[in-house]
Amino acid sequence: MKTDNVRREREQRPAGRGIRQSMSGLHIWAGLLMGWILYVMYLTGTVSYFKDELSQWMRPELAHQAELPDPALVAQRVADELATIAPGSPQWSMRLPDARTNSVYAFWRLAPGEAGAASGRRSFAEAAFDPATGGKVTARETLGGDFFYRFHFQFHYMPVLWGRWIAGAAAMFMLVAIVSGVITHKKIFIDFFTFRGGKGQRSWFDAHNALSVFGLPFHAMITYTGLVTLMALYMPWGERTAITTQAERQQLTAELNAFIQPGKPSGQAVPLASVADMVRQAQERWGQDAVGRVTATNSGDSTARVAVARGEAGRVSMSPQYMLFDGPTGRLLETREGVGAAAETRGVLYALHLGRFSDAVTRWLYFLVSLMGTAMVGTGLVMWTVKRRQKLADPERPHIGFRIVERLNIASIAGLSVAMTAFLWGNRLLPAGLADRGAWEIHLFFAVWALALAHAVLRPAKTAWIEQLWAATALLALLPVLNAVTTDRPLWHSVAEADWVFAGMDLMCLSLAALHAVLALRTARHRPKPRAVPTKGRGGVIGGALEEGRS
Amino acid sequence: MMHLLSFALCLAAFAALALATERQQHDLFGGPLSPAATRLLRVAGTGVMLLALGVLLDWQGWGLGLVMFSGHTSLAAGVVFCAAIGLAGARRRGKSAAISPASRRV
Amino acid sequence: MMPRIGPVRRAAPVASRIVAALFGGYALAALGSVAALALPMSKPQAVLTGMLASFAIYAAAVVWVFAARSALRAWAGLLAAAAPLLLAAWSVW
Repeated sequence: MKTDNVRREREQRPAGRGIRQSMSGLHIWAGLLMGWILYVMYLTGTVSYFKDELSQWMRPELAHQAELPDPALVAQRVADELATIAPGSPQWSMRLPDARTNSVYAFWRLAPGEAGAASGRRSFAEAAFDPATGGKVTARETLGGDFFYRFHFQFHYMPVLWGRWIAGAAAMFMLVAIVSGVITHKKIFIDFFTFRGGKGQRSWFDAHNALSVFGLPFHAMITYTGLVTLMALYMPWGERTAITTQAERQQLTAELNAFIQPGKPSGQAVPLASVADMVRQAQERWGQDAVGRVTATNSGDSTARVAVARGEAGRVSMSPQYMLFDGPTGRLLETREGVGAAAETRGVLYALHLGRFSDAVTRWLYFLVSLMGTAMVGTGLVMWTVKRRQKLADPERPHIGFRIVERLNIASIAGLSVAMTAFLWGNRLLPAGLADRGAWEIHLFFAVWALALAHAVLRPAKTAWIEQLWAATALLALLPVLNAVTTDRPLWHSVAEADWVFAGMDLMCLSLAALHAVLALRTARHRPKPRAVPTKGRGGVIGGALEEGRS
Repeated sequence: MMHLLSFALCLAAFAALALATERQQHDLFGGPLSPAATRLLRVAGTGVMLLALGVLLDWQGWGLGLVMFSGHTSLAAGVVFCAAIGLAGARRRGKSAAISPASRRV
Repeated sequence: MMPRIGPVRRAAPVASRIVAALFGGYALAALGSVAALALPMSKPQAVLTGMLASFAIYAAAVVWVFAARSALRAWAGLLAAAAPLLLAAWSVW
């Protein structure tokens, strides 16, 4: 079908087509073929900039953290707890709490003798810990914001590697779409502000252009850096050729992350020295809130090592910086603060993608510009049908390719809003005792999304757009109400407590509800015109009503 | 506070650059400004934008500074763009289609 | 209008370009990432440099394939770019 479509596109071109036409064709088809996946990746990736906040909201049992606990004390508490629940673990690692998290996430390798390791299926365990007590937190079972985060680069219901390859292919298509789009529309950069809104097909074009051009540095950055985050998977050939020995492999790994690898344990039990002291030494070097992670190998053994790694706050780089301590004595063995130029470049690009270094304002900038990117992909998809609808022989009975694109647009754009909000509803409504509760939240997300697709196929296109947009509006607008009913942290309470995670979440839902309501109203108000007759001159970036919904 | 300052500077810069384009001058003033005024707007816009960049680089250094600059410019451009469309639309409704189609490039 | 040419004959160049872009482009990028090992720097840095640059090579190859005047030229261009990379890659294999 792909070949077929490209051919049809080409046949319409005059014989002596220039580079602009071929790039325009490349832009359109690269964008369309992966458009739905890209839209989903963009939107779930965008909300992942608030992944930690989302995770907090999804575990309402964990109290709002009014002030940051002392990282050194927290590290010690959790290390003590890990010594009890995971003795003999070859490696454990914890992310220290910061202003955005109210629990400590840790994972550990299971000791060789443990059941899970024996079966060969799971070699890692993970848990969240309470910074105040060091004990495992008892909150509802949920993947929290990590679901959207993981979904945006590896999807779900499939092997992780497949998902990552699909995400990589989509990102590569995106990169090609960006480059070809820039070549096609070079003129836009000269006529930066000459777009206009509210004129039928033209308004879609303008909205798409504006969203693309204004956010171009971000879009190009996020696409390339997205590929960089998983580059060892996508381009392993240099590594396979050059890295042949275990020593070389360790040398390469050390350039990429601060997870020290366990050596052979001696079998001689020696307790770990004070982890709090090690963290304090790191704080003296990098600053009070600069410690990100503590990793220990063979803890409880005489060969134990502890790496206290610098976090991402205040530096645009993910490259490993850590202080390595001898476990039993707590003596500083090594301070590693620099990596090679290429590794540092990779560290910077990786950090740019994740944006974890951001202060609150920069995080919002990331979120908003990323949302512009989402809208860019969305307008691009809708444009495909808007442009082609005018050329249809019989607009009442469009051909099958057109109908597929039209329906997939509805389900992947409006339907995704419904499904993502349903996921949050599930978090509040599913019973706490349900087995595999976290997985059921996700099943609910996909079930609702599948229903949205079925609905998009069964209803007339315009009706489907309107109904799904209203469904998203209702779910989003009522989420703060549901939160108020099912938890003891309603909006007024959060505002009074200065709990901006919960208050922000409620307010965000209300703003997004308003956005969806506007889109629904504009779609409903839109009157199909026989040809591109100017509609009323309104409509900004979102603008021009979802003309898509006609039929 | 520095964020607010940089964003305001970017907003002003893009407003000036937008007003330096023929399209916006037609839509907002009903005709082109003098070439000298247009050039002044363009120079001022570029200057203020560089000032915003300078403010951020001075505050946060190259890494964070450039990231923040990119975010502020993207958002500011979007705001100016929407404002230009809104103003032009309001003006058009006010004058009820007094602008001839010939005066605009499509 | 070329009424004599069947749909297969017309689709073939496009199909050929798509193959060149998807697989030829990847092969060129992969080759580039191996050729980077010939750069005068330590092994880990060279490996990472190759990985980092490979996506730019891939994107450029795809753009070239669809910008070229004919499918044949598209392939020829890929091969021409591959030759020096192959030479560099050969030296470190």
